[in-house]
Amino acid sequence: MISIRERGKMGVGLFILSEANFFLLLIVAYVYYHAYPGQGPTAASALNTARTAAFSVALFASSATIFMASRAARRGDSGGLVRWLAITIALGTLFIFGQAKEYYDLIESGVGVSRNLFATTFFTLTGFHGLHVIIGLVALSITLALAMAGKLHPETRDGFGAVEWYWHFVDAVWVVVFSVVYLWSAAS
Amino acid sequence: MDPIPVFAPASPLAHALSALLVGVFAVLVGIFLLVTTLVIYMIVRYRDRPGAPEARQIFGWNALEVTWTLIPAGILAVFSVFMVAADRAADPLIPPGRKPDLEVIGHQWWWEINYVASGAVAANEIHIPIGKSILIELKSADVIHDFWAPELGRKIDAVPGHPNTLWIEADAPGTYLGTCAEFCGVEHAWMRFRVIAQNEADFDTWQRAQLAIPPAPSAPDALAGAKLFADKTCINCHSIAGTAGNQTVGPDLTHIASRTMLAGEAARNTPEELFRWLKQPDAIKPQSHMPDFKLTDDEAHQLVAYLEGLK
Amino acid sequence: MSQIVEAGVAPALVASEREGLLAWIASVDHKQIGILYMISAMFFFLIGGIEALVIRIQLLAPGLHIVSPETFDQMFTMHGTTMIFLFVMPMLTGFSTYMVPLMIGARDMAFPRLNAMSFWIQLFGGIILYFSFVAGGAPSAGWFAYTPLSEKAYSSLAGVDYWILGLACVGIGTLAGGINFVVTILCLRVEGLTIRRLPLFVWMTLVNSFLMIFALPLINAALAMLLIDRFFNAHVFDPAGGGSALLWQHYFWSFGHPEVYIMILPAFGIISEVIPVFSRKPIYGYEFVAASSVAIAFLSFTVWAHHMFAVGMSHVANLAFGVASMLIAVPTGIKIFNWTATMYGGRIRFTTAMKFAIAFLITFTIGGLSGISFAVFPLDWQLTDTYYLVAHFHYVLFGGSVFGIFAGFYYWFPKISGRMLSERLGTWHFWLTFIGFNLTFFIQHVLGLAGMPRRVFTYPDLPGWYAMNMISSIGAFMLGISVLLLLWIVFDGINHGEPAGDNPWDAWTLEWATTSPPPPDNFDRVPPVHGRRPLWDLAHPDRADEVMAKL
Repeated sequence: MISIRERGKMGVGLFILSEANFFLLLIVAYVYYHAYPGQGPTAASALNTARTAAFSVALFASSATIFMASRAARRGDSGGLVRWLAITIALGTLFIFGQAKEYYDLIESGVGVSRNLFATTFFTLTGFHGLHVIIGLVALSITLALAMAGKLHPETRDGFGAVEWYWHFVDAVWVVVFSVVYLWSAAS
Repeated sequence: MDPIPVFAPASPLAHALSALLVGVFAVLVGIFLLVTTLVIYMIVRYRDRPGAPEARQIFGWNALEVTWTLIPAGILAVFSVFMVAADRAADPLIPPGRKPDLEVIGHQWWWEINYVASGAVAANEIHIPIGKSILIELKSADVIHDFWAPELGRKIDAVPGHPNTLWIEADAPGTYLGTCAEFCGVEHAWMRFRVIAQNEADFDTWQRAQLAIPPAPSAPDALAGAKLFADKTCINCHSIAGTAGNQTVGPDLTHIASRTMLAGEAARNTPEELFRWLKQPDAIKPQSHMPDFKLTDDEAHQLVAYLEGLK
Repeated sequence: MSQIVEAGVAPALVASEREGLLAWIASVDHKQIGILYMISAMFFFLIGGIEALVIRIQLLAPGLHIVSPETFDQMFTMHGTTMIFLFVMPMLTGFSTYMVPLMIGARDMAFPRLNAMSFWIQLFGGIILYFSFVAGGAPSAGWFAYTPLSEKAYSSLAGVDYWILGLACVGIGTLAGGINFVVTILCLRVEGLTIRRLPLFVWMTLVNSFLMIFALPLINAALAMLLIDRFFNAHVFDPAGGGSALLWQHYFWSFGHPEVYIMILPAFGIISEVIPVFSRKPIYGYEFVAASSVAIAFLSFTVWAHHMFAVGMSHVANLAFGVASMLIAVPTGIKIFNWTATMYGGRIRFTTAMKFAIAFLITFTIGGLSGISFAVFPLDWQLTDTYYLVAHFHYVLFGGSVFGIFAGFYYWFPKISGRMLSERLGTWHFWLTFIGFNLTFFIQHVLGLAGMPRRVFTYPDLPGWYAMNMISSIGAFMLGISVLLLLWIVFDGINHGEPAGDNPWDAWTLEWATTSPPPPDNFDRVPPVHGRRPLWDLAHPDRADEVMAKL
């Protein structure tokens, strides 16, 4: 018999495998239409890699801060937990702000979802990723609220463990998306 | 027409498929009989009888497992060899530089046929000379269709944005039925076609006739029909060479009177059926793109007189 | 170790004090949820059956105009979607939800609330799908909704949108169910029940759950993109805007082929329970039956393009997918031979469950063999999208999955209800189903070879077509009657059935070690598990499986 904590983590692990497959098809669609482009804007012409890189650093850093939060939780350092969680949420929010700004500028310049296949697959891929970040932020906020109320007990802490795994996953997806969309397709 | 066209090949291409089909079916039926015999033997021999002793508890035997893994794998390996051979025979590689003979375009719900070299145009009825490999370039004007004339060769999809090629050929003169085999919307059922294989001389005669512009009508009702054809917006969709109509939304009607069937084979091409088709398209091919123009009987008769004169 | 082992403890949940309808709606008990799955699946089975009958009435004779082509297209689209997503899949999930915790000696699933969510969200998906009938028209682009036919330009009504949203809900529910089963099976097994001792039905559910976890997100991604095409005027799958019609097919079938195995693996599991029990012998080649399922699961992700041999792929791609598809026949054959060998030397009891299991061996073999004729891709060029294909997948899905479901139903009904079903009526049901099924579908092989394409609302009067369609329709009505009889059998069983007792079949797995129906927390105590057949070991301590294996 395996503990409830481990079961939660196993469940999230399986969910992550499933989500990875979901993103796989979105990435394939993006790459496919990068290879067979139509008329209109492309990654190279429309995207601001430097600015997105700056916001991406925030998301990448949040993986480190959530690791610090979980370390604090393991030590029973509730002050550290709250502090690191808050920083993680702030970094995630900053990333979403950056994405919102990017979307706003693109749509202002006439690159909307239906403009061409680059635009459709770009918005689909990054949009679904953004949606996952937002869901992660909701989960983190609940965790933060529980931590501040002092209700994140050692027994239930692994609900937090599951959130942590999920957050690392969202981050890892962005490593792939950022590499494919900004570093590879926008440069070629 | 043979009732089972896939077993009545009329071309070397279809022959390769039919031979493979017979061979594979023979093996599959053999395996089926083996399994069924085993199952029937078990249930007859080992049915529960009163007073029979308890069954011996057997857990398995690895040698047997290996046997019934390797033998089917071997059979499939043999299938693979024949599969490659049939692929080569039924779908030969296209020699570099070979131009297609025909361009066939699937529309909802009819087939446009263009003879690439001569410029002849047809719809739903493909005339080919016998004994020649005909290369078709297959396209779609809207959704995915599928070109299938089972006696002459393989089926292949007409995919928008993805032109395909296929060979067809006929050994002997005759009419070979075909159909759209991929669901393409409400009138998928009536997107049938036929291939009419002729000897070289007959084919040439047919093709010359198709290239000619039909003579202008002279009879009064046919003349009235020609005027209706222009006035009733028929020409917004249909072409007739020598008139203002040059659209390909619907089939080319320049030589409609030379065809056997109407409306993707939903009706025979007789004056009565054509009259019915013009008067009430939905009675023959419901929800097709042919509009109901609410023609009077006289108007419909005049159009029939005009169209049936277009040999 | 003590003789009595503590049952796997699920997360602490207060047993519901509620009664009546609310007790069911608010339930997080795997048994109640399992029953809900079965009832909703049965309901959709009836609707899907009516749709099938409309199809067969319209095709009774050439040139009929009983329903409009539009209605006909809605019927086959909804029939396919319903039977796959709202009947076969939830019915098998229902069996797994009810039986897996019992078979592994647990008190519930690992995540009982997630379990409830899985059921309700998939039911909600079904309701959304059927809501399309009153919201402007059901989808009519076929159950695989090939683009661009399913794009806005050719399917302008909202039917396809409901189809997308409905399937997405079913997909999410099923996916959550898959996660739940894996965690349940890996974490909640009673002591002694190692992976190598799991009942094969549990094994199949485990493998199946991995298929769900990996395959369902693929269709959800494709559905999301199709929805974006339709709602935001994008063109991912629309060649008119530069998109690729074939990309949809690759995406759909990368899910669609594993889906075929999602619908058959649990049925394999049922057959692997029923045949041994009624042959009074252990399953022949347990390891091979289990391992071949894993092989099938892996292979299922490598063969999707065999649905696309007619789209014009390269010779190399055709060959690769052809060979990979043929490979699946090997592990499938292993199963058929092992089930047959299980009967060897047995004392076969012809209960209704066993009759369906034996019929499964025959009809599923036909479906499997006709499947090989599609893997040999040059033959696919003649056979695909004809009635031969319709016959093939009905032999797999009806002759396979549904016969498996019926076998499981007759086998487990006494456990679930506490009452026996009438064997006499069951025999009638079996023969009506078996004959009706073969009458309906066997002739369709010939019809396909005769050149009749699938999904046509009517057909020309070519030689033999009328007669063959007539035979098929008569068979379909026999099947309709058999379903009505089944409903009567259930009604009769619930009201007048003999009490079943704990273990009416003298079976060996843990679900039979508790009362029928089981108490809310499943077991007072779970018998010790030292082998694959704990109840056999308990009854024959001198000849326990473990002991015999060492001899």
